[in-house]
Amino acid sequence: MDLKDKLVSSFLAFENNVDVHNPVHDVRTEAIKNFETKGFPSRKEEAWKYTSLNSLQKIDFSIFPKKESSLEYKDVKKYFIHQIDTYKIVFIDGVFSSNLSETTHDGVDICLMSSALTKPMYKAVIDVYFNKVASKDESLTTLNTAFSREGAYIYIPKNKVPKKPIEIIHFSTGNDVALMLQPRNLIIAEENSEMQIIERHQSLTSNAVLTNCVTEIFAAKNAIVDYYKVQNDVDSASLVDNTYVDQKDGSHVKVHTFSFGGKLLRNNLNFYQNGERIDSTMKGITIIGDKQHVDHHTLVHHIEPNCESHQDYKGIYADSSTGVFNGKIIVDKIAQKTNAFQKNNNILISDKATINTKPQLEIFADDVKCSHGCTIGQLDEEALFYLQSRGIPKKEARALLMYAFANNVLESVSIPELKVRINKLIANKLGVNLGFDL
Amino acid sequence: MLKIKDLHANVEGKEILRGINLEVNAGEVHAIMGPNGSGKSTLASVIAGNETYEVTAGDIFLNGENIEDLSPEERAHNGVFLSFQYPVEIPGVSVTNFMKTAINESRKAKGLEDMPAKDMLKLIRDKSELLEIDRKFLSRSLNEGFSGGEKKRNEIFQMAMLEPKLAILDETDSGLDIDALRIVANGVNKLKSKDNAVVVITHYQRLLEYIVPDFVHVLYNGKIVKSGTKELAMELEEKGYDWIKQEAAV
Amino acid sequence: MAYTEEELKKELETKEYEYGFYTDIESDTFPIGLSEEIVIAISKKKNEPQWMTDWRIEAYRVWEKMEEPDWANVHYEKPDFQAISYYSAPKKADPNKKLEDVDPELLEMYKKLGISVDEQKKLQNVAVDIVVDSVSVATTFKKTLAEKGIIFMPISEAIQEHPELVRKYMGSIVPTTDNFYAALNSAVFTDGSFCYIPKGVRCPMELSTYFRINQAGTGQFERTLLVADEGSYVSYLEGCTAPSRDENQLHAAVVELIAMDDAEIKYSTVQNWFPGNKEGKGGVYNFVTKRALCEKNAKVSWTQVETGSAVTWKYPSCILKGDNSIGEFYSIAVTNNYQQADTGTKMIHLGKNTRSTIISKGISAGKSQNSYRGLVQVSSRADNARNFSQCDSLLMGNECGAHTFPYIEVKNKSAMVEHEATTSKIGEEQIFYCNQRGIDTEKAIALIVNGFSKEVLNKLPMEFAVEAQKLLEISLEGSVG
Repeated sequence: MDLKDKLVSSFLAFENNVDVHNPVHDVRTEAIKNFETKGFPSRKEEAWKYTSLNSLQKIDFSIFPKKESSLEYKDVKKYFIHQIDTYKIVFIDGVFSSNLSETTHDGVDICLMSSALTKPMYKAVIDVYFNKVASKDESLTTLNTAFSREGAYIYIPKNKVPKKPIEIIHFSTGNDVALMLQPRNLIIAEENSEMQIIERHQSLTSNAVLTNCVTEIFAAKNAIVDYYKVQNDVDSASLVDNTYVDQKDGSHVKVHTFSFGGKLLRNNLNFYQNGERIDSTMKGITIIGDKQHVDHHTLVHHIEPNCESHQDYKGIYADSSTGVFNGKIIVDKIAQKTNAFQKNNNILISDKATINTKPQLEIFADDVKCSHGCTIGQLDEEALFYLQSRGIPKKEARALLMYAFANNVLESVSIPELKVRINKLIANKLGVNLGFDL
Repeated sequence: MLKIKDLHANVEGKEILRGINLEVNAGEVHAIMGPNGSGKSTLASVIAGNETYEVTAGDIFLNGENIEDLSPEERAHNGVFLSFQYPVEIPGVSVTNFMKTAINESRKAKGLEDMPAKDMLKLIRDKSELLEIDRKFLSRSLNEGFSGGEKKRNEIFQMAMLEPKLAILDETDSGLDIDALRIVANGVNKLKSKDNAVVVITHYQRLLEYIVPDFVHVLYNGKIVKSGTKELAMELEEKGYDWIKQEAAV
Repeated sequence: MAYTEEELKKELETKEYEYGFYTDIESDTFPIGLSEEIVIAISKKKNEPQWMTDWRIEAYRVWEKMEEPDWANVHYEKPDFQAISYYSAPKKADPNKKLEDVDPELLEMYKKLGISVDEQKKLQNVAVDIVVDSVSVATTFKKTLAEKGIIFMPISEAIQEHPELVRKYMGSIVPTTDNFYAALNSAVFTDGSFCYIPKGVRCPMELSTYFRINQAGTGQFERTLLVADEGSYVSYLEGCTAPSRDENQLHAAVVELIAMDDAEIKYSTVQNWFPGNKEGKGGVYNFVTKRALCEKNAKVSWTQVETGSAVTWKYPSCILKGDNSIGEFYSIAVTNNYQQADTGTKMIHLGKNTRSTIISKGISAGKSQNSYRGLVQVSSRADNARNFSQCDSLLMGNECGAHTFPYIEVKNKSAMVEHEATTSKIGEEQIFYCNQRGIDTEKAIALIVNGFSKEVLNKLPMEFAVEAQKLLEISLEGSVG
């Protein structure tokens, strides 16, 4: 049975474990129908021209984990930003781990999607927000919607700021030979609220994992959401991340994506600006090698006037890795005075590496400033020589230059400890041990 | 030449000019001074016909004719020249091409043929020498990548080319070093005649050492609160604008 | 008062297509419809050798199985290929090709188009091969060119006189199976130009072809094949106009360029087919396949000024096969009213040290849609490939759209690829500045647009540049942003 058929038939089993009378289930039923019609995207579709899911579909993934596992904090401590205190929402093989988590209802809700979807006290919020910005026809999103049951639920009321950053971590333990996970996150920042979130998916063994994650973010008037995605998984783990952001007047949402590992990473990042004076920022650093594949797919839809968007993606590709950047900016007719900027810079450091990039502008308003730039190049040989002549060994010199290339993306990281962590990951990825604290 | 009667003007609903009266005759140099935000640049833009500003009351006469209904280009054809405080960049359009177009459009409005190419070249050569402008400069894109001084010198070069009847110099001295200031002022002085008039808008007295005004007006809060001769400019330089503000407040 | 947008709009609406006249020449037109019989009939009509007929039939059979592409960012009613007449030749065309023998009405038409086949043009050193509807009717300067060994003639003649050359190269760059329109063209092309520049010869004059669609309901399918042998140089100009008509006319041309080792080809196009009227009615569908092959050290420059056609679908491309070869693409595309253009280029880097430059300027006005679509591909063997792309869009008015779809695919670590794109509008401050200097708004826009397009206009041969500049002005008259 191929993966699509398996998923569709698993939906019946799934229905035995959820409340089918809950209105949320109507949304799921509708979604599975859409997925059944569409199936997995193929390379014939423009949006998937450079990324193939064929080999993943050949793997016999378990749709539900066979048994529950537990983990000791000391064993997985290194995957947390443990230097600082954070709220933690932790899942093991898709199941909430109360042992590793630290949730709260103290003025803010930092808890579980499973509660939010089932408990009456959350119903009003779920009615307004659940599946409202996520696509109703993109096939992987509808697949996630169909199986939506668990994930992180974060609700920050008006004028509130949580005491500390929030970490969302998904561990997979390898209890199953191959496991498919479909976390669903809902994040709501009410007027004038603020939050910082770090999200990570981590497999602890070499068994195959496919995560198809959907996150919906709603930023109300003047809200600030700062979201960090740390993607440094093992070579047997693949991730399709679908993030949808709905922004209202004066809100600022930043999403940083650090892609350093995994078999296949596909990031679909969609911003909809439903208001004025909105600022949307998307930044990313990708450093990969081996046969890894990272595909960043961004969309910024400027719907209202006087907004800005900033995109800055840097990529370094070694070995036989493949990078894709596909960034689309749409400016509607009424979205006058839009400033939309996009940058994508890449370095290939191996003869077998490939980069495909397709920045895209679709402009329907005339009083706008839009630009995109993209480059593909190498390290500056002269700079390399200069550093070597000052006594820095070649390997370190190269690393230093690559670090410098990617560095400006880190400037906007607002959690210092995270910045240190990312710096270490970069050094590690570049195979050097330098105290990059530039 | 220019007569302004009780002129009121708004920008985005906010009243900037609140009843200006001014008369400038041929052969005269007038200086309009005043603190920042007093309405100096607005006055220049309104005379030139910038539609960003809404004239709510009053009249502007040029050579006895009310110019209210004239478009900016028609005013230019009638001899109004504005040296912009911030000249805009027009990529890909060379200074020469721009001047050629401007001169021929003005000629067309007067029912004249295009200026023959050799006359045009001669005119460009003469005027660029007057302003000590390098010929290479003339083939660069208009104002693109020009330094502040180059922009201002280019404005006066255009004034020399177009030979206006009424030249309004809006903060032409800002951003100029002393040499550039001398060249620009020298150019203006050479272009001055008994048939034309110059209105110099400035914050400082510095430029007025080079272009000596016959009259000095102080603009404050959208009104001319004091008029005098060049000694008034010296007084302002010494005492600043505060005493004017106090006087106006009384 | 200032010239208002309203007034400008009105003026634009009443502005008729300047070249919209219809010359009444007796035409020898085939019945409408397309079948294998028609394909054979076209071939027979032109007295073609069997290999040519077979080639056409093969292309027709391929085409029959193909589907019209719909990936471009253009929306139009698909042409009914059975409602088109595939052959239309002016009856009085003189086989001897002497200028004096040309139908005087035809000459009058050229005059209206501003094409001078006469002395004036000769003095300007231009050899012209004119294609009216589908048959080439006059070729000048043949003799001067012949002395250098340059062959420049209608492709129908070349098929008769130089079958070995035509057979060797036709379809070698754009195979019959390449795409829907190329296949159609291969089956039914009626004429076009053929040019061969021998080894080491520098063509002493600009070669020029004018295409024009005249007869109602005729599609024009011309075919151009240009071979520049080792170390040769040629500059080729192509101009296109069509009279205004209510129904859409189809134009599906194929242009193949071959630049052998050390050769250089400059190919310039000014396209001014009828764009349709202000309601978007009528106009030409311009679906063109243009491609060049560059061998070692060869260089091909495409320069295009596209102001006409209701729908344009065109991507002049370079296959940079030889080491050190160079491809260039300079384009201005103007769309107004309901025009739609989806145009750009492909630069395929296969050889080492290959370089390409793309400069694209799109200007959209009215309710038009203007898209740049490009591909820069660097293969794994193309060491030290370099590309620079710059795509700028200028929007005039708030009912049009500007789109950029650049694809970049790189498989070699030594490649350097740079792409930049900007979108902007004409600033009110810029207009006021011009106004203050006595330049009215319309002239100011023309000036600013010319400045915006300058990098590309500069690449055109002098006299073409002047014409192109005028076309830009005409196309945008009254479309104030």
